Amino acid sequence: MVRSAAAERTTGARFERPGRHGGTGGIPRGARAERLAPFVLVAPAVLIIVALRLWPLLLGVNFSFTGDGERNGTSVGFDNYAQLLDDPLFRTALRNVGLLVVLLPVAVAIPGLLATFIYLRVPGHRLFRGVYFFPAVLSPVIVGAIFNLMLGFDGPLNAALGAIGLGPIDWLGDPGVAMFTVIGVHVWATFGMALVVFLAGFSTLDAALLDAARMDGASLPRIIWHVIIPGLSRTIQFVFVTTMIGMLTSMFGLLYVMTSGGPEGSTYLPEFYVWIQQGRMNRPALASAASTVLFLIMLVVGILQVSVLRRAGRED
Amino acid sequence: MPGKRLGRWMVAVPMALLALATVYPLVFTTNVAMKTRREYILDRFSPTTSLHLENIAAAWNSVGMARYFANSLIVVTASVILLLLFGSMAGFALSQLRFRGSSALFLGCLAALFVPFQVIMVPLARVMADSGLIDTYPGLILAYVAQFLPFTIFLMTSHYRTIPVEIIHAARIDGNSTYGVYRRIMIPLGAPALLSVGILDALFCWNDVLIALLMMPSPEHRTLMVGVTSLRGQYSDNIPQFASGVLIAAIPVLLLYLFLQRQIADGVTAGSTKG
Amino acid sequence: MKQRTLWSVVLATGLAVTGCGSAAPTQSSPGEPRSKIVVWDWKSGEPGVTSYIEKAKADFATKHPDVTVEFVAQPFDQYYTLLGAATQSGKGPDVMLFNGGGQIRDRVDGLLPLDQYVAEDKQRLAGWDAFSKDGTIYAAPVTLQGHPIYYNKSLYQKAGLDPANPPKTWDEFVSDCAAINKAAGAKCFALGNKEGFGIQFFMSGLGPGILTPKEYDDWIAGKRDWTSPHVKEIFSLWKKVNDDGLNNDGANSTALFNDAFALFNTGKSATVIGLMSDVGHWKDFGEFLGADQVGVMTAPVVTSGATSVLPYDGGIGYGVAKSTKDPELAADLVRSLTSTGALTAFYTGAGAITSDTTIDVSQGAPAVAAIVPQIKDGKPALHVALSSTTLDLMGRLSQQLLSGSVSVDEAVRQLAASDKVS
Repeated sequence: MVRSAAAERTTGARFERPGRHGGTGGIPRGARAERLAPFVLVAPAVLIIVALRLWPLLLGVNFSFTGDGERNGTSVGFDNYAQLLDDPLFRTALRNVGLLVVLLPVAVAIPGLLATFIYLRVPGHRLFRGVYFFPAVLSPVIVGAIFNLMLGFDGPLNAALGAIGLGPIDWLGDPGVAMFTVIGVHVWATFGMALVVFLAGFSTLDAALLDAARMDGASLPRIIWHVIIPGLSRTIQFVFVTTMIGMLTSMFGLLYVMTSGGPEGSTYLPEFYVWIQQGRMNRPALASAASTVLFLIMLVVGILQVSVLRRAGRED
Repeated sequence: MPGKRLGRWMVAVPMALLALATVYPLVFTTNVAMKTRREYILDRFSPTTSLHLENIAAAWNSVGMARYFANSLIVVTASVILLLLFGSMAGFALSQLRFRGSSALFLGCLAALFVPFQVIMVPLARVMADSGLIDTYPGLILAYVAQFLPFTIFLMTSHYRTIPVEIIHAARIDGNSTYGVYRRIMIPLGAPALLSVGILDALFCWNDVLIALLMMPSPEHRTLMVGVTSLRGQYSDNIPQFASGVLIAAIPVLLLYLFLQRQIADGVTAGSTKG
Repeated sequence: MKQRTLWSVVLATGLAVTGCGSAAPTQSSPGEPRSKIVVWDWKSGEPGVTSYIEKAKADFATKHPDVTVEFVAQPFDQYYTLLGAATQSGKGPDVMLFNGGGQIRDRVDGLLPLDQYVAEDKQRLAGWDAFSKDGTIYAAPVTLQGHPIYYNKSLYQKAGLDPANPPKTWDEFVSDCAAINKAAGAKCFALGNKEGFGIQFFMSGLGPGILTPKEYDDWIAGKRDWTSPHVKEIFSLWKKVNDDGLNNDGANSTALFNDAFALFNTGKSATVIGLMSDVGHWKDFGEFLGADQVGVMTAPVVTSGATSVLPYDGGIGYGVAKSTKDPELAADLVRSLTSTGALTAFYTGAGAITSDTTIDVSQGAPAVAAIVPQIKDGKPALHVALSSTTLDLMGRLSQQLLSGSVSVDEAVRQLAASDKVS
């Protein structure tokens, strides 16, 4: 994750070339080996990804048109998909994906702000830089278990809220709150990674510009808006993509331990739905259909994001 | 400027609280690991009065953790090496070489990035079984490489894109082939990125439970996190022993981070103090 | 056609793997003198179960000294998913542990009918129904799982009630709870419904006092009348208990395992609908409250004419994969795993109430001595008769009932519809 940041360090301000990166030019022409070189370089990666990710995905798509249980192995057309759309749980899962996308900027802004403060040498910045990464090394299972205790109805957080006169909140038991709680814990558990990326990005920031802004007496929000955000646009884009992937593909462990999809099914995510249908319900074909839908959604989100990033890259 | 100083402390205090909140789970886990099951149920939070190190010993002995530890080391090391090798090769080609289908490839790689493992879990198990790779080290290593390669390629590509064309031009003029450029330019210049991607890949592989469970059914092939997870039981019954297992699994990763963090941090400070 | 392709793939895989000679524990070539049976479970790693496994292995070894048995303890969270994946890829175990009820019934097409092998054990063991489908037995029961209502005798005493005479009717039960709450500040029930399991325990634990015996038997037999006022009563009582403040706060975010049990263990609740085996049972509670302070009551009678019986089923049991090489051998292992010697070790080691009715428990804790005699007249638990899908739905609806976002009528209507489909 630190790479793009580290990258900005090596190149500094030179990275203004818009969007285009290819064109090494000067390739000794005619050499067959040279012409084939790019393909040789990508071959292992392509082979592995095709054989172990895309091929299984296709098998799954094929499987999604067959039935479960007594109809095992027979073709059922789009039955599984019709059933999915009919299932309020699956619809909740899709809605929650939407919620994740909407909350993405917050998940990016938090480590960004913290990194800004650390960069500006807030007292204790060295310590903060060291310990903020800690949660990232713990497995989601233990993170979830600890937060279950902290956020229990009679847990310490509600006790603290009670002490200042705020009513208890059923963090994990209120269907209107639980999804936000889980997302919050996920952000807490992963912000350290994004923070490291941001910090590395700051090292490429032109300190002179910042000093000048401070001399002029610019307020912190203005500095962030006019100096830091434009200066770190590439890092920010990068954190956006990686945070998005983290949110969309790796919240399973937390969900499993913290809510198991509840309360009232409010915290379902598609991958959790796939898992439940697969394991608990023994409906592998329906799970495959859900997987296919999920993949299509991810594909659209991914392509949208790439095109947004490309445009942003060009505007740089 | 006293006003400014006040502002700094107003930021520092919440940040210190957050720092506490990030350290606390480790403290909590350590504390729980020292308790007996009974003490844990009666009171989860208070500091333990007696140091029950036997939990750690039991966790280590009960399910052959030493073997699992070795398995994890083998699998994670091999996976990370392959990931970095294939990832940097593809990243170089996708970022600096123009060839037919390169952008389609990059897009395909991004698409693969967005597939949660649960989605391909069962078909992948079947593919692995068909090829006789299930329950073998190469099988699990390949599964990890397949799972995290898109991510690695994505990171390496975006890193290599920032390397100026001029450097590569110069290397070409010196008579380097494409492979020569890869070996003499891209590897050394990519070192910081390779290091950080490597840490992340190692972290992912080390903490994974699901893929390892699926690919390595026999007990003697289990990885450490699988062993730790099985300490939970059906009813997450013996939490102190589980916490001990978690500690055993987390300590190597923490050490690795603390060891490498200095290098990352050094880079950061060097950059921010110049000018 | 598709089916055939699939099978040929599975077959080819099996061959390929044998050919490779790679680590394939389930395979053994006929020429070898020693063969191997692989067992999957989620129990054999637990400390309390060690002696049980040893006993079973020893028993099996006397019959088949040349066969190795390998136990693979899987994490329970992933157990059925792994089992599904392994079976689909032709790498499943020979013998495997199942929970009784829906989990095994959904998977019988991969299992070997055991009737001919276990005929001798049918009398000695109880709990077969949970492992049978359409009259065929697919696994032999190891433990019995049921839902006794446990109460804290010292809290009853503190409230001036007679701990030896627990309430018989629902009205008595509620007024006793009020007295305890006044005297000791404890809630009536410890309820954990985070996973939606609370309603299952509630339905099965209190159901015998709500449904008439005929309704109960019909329910178990599959003729479930969701329009009956007594069925509706289960859900309205569920809601009323919570609305009247008889449960601990935040039941929807309290995990049944083991947070709700911890509330009972620490005297914060007077009663809990618990289990008979594994966890949340007499042995567990006895460790915290003292074995003689753990009382067991039958379901308080809500509907006149209802008879309170102990709701229980087969808890866990071992089944044999259809694909196993030597079914007789695998079935023999299942018989060793359910031998009296092994099960006695399970009872003493883990505190499980085993399926073997001949084990003497009279020297055990008072609570276990109170439970075991009820097994003879006990009936299957209500929730075990429902499909996984309906149980899942019931879990969610029960949470909505507690939070007030669905009416009892609507919940019952949805459950009836789901039950009809599955």
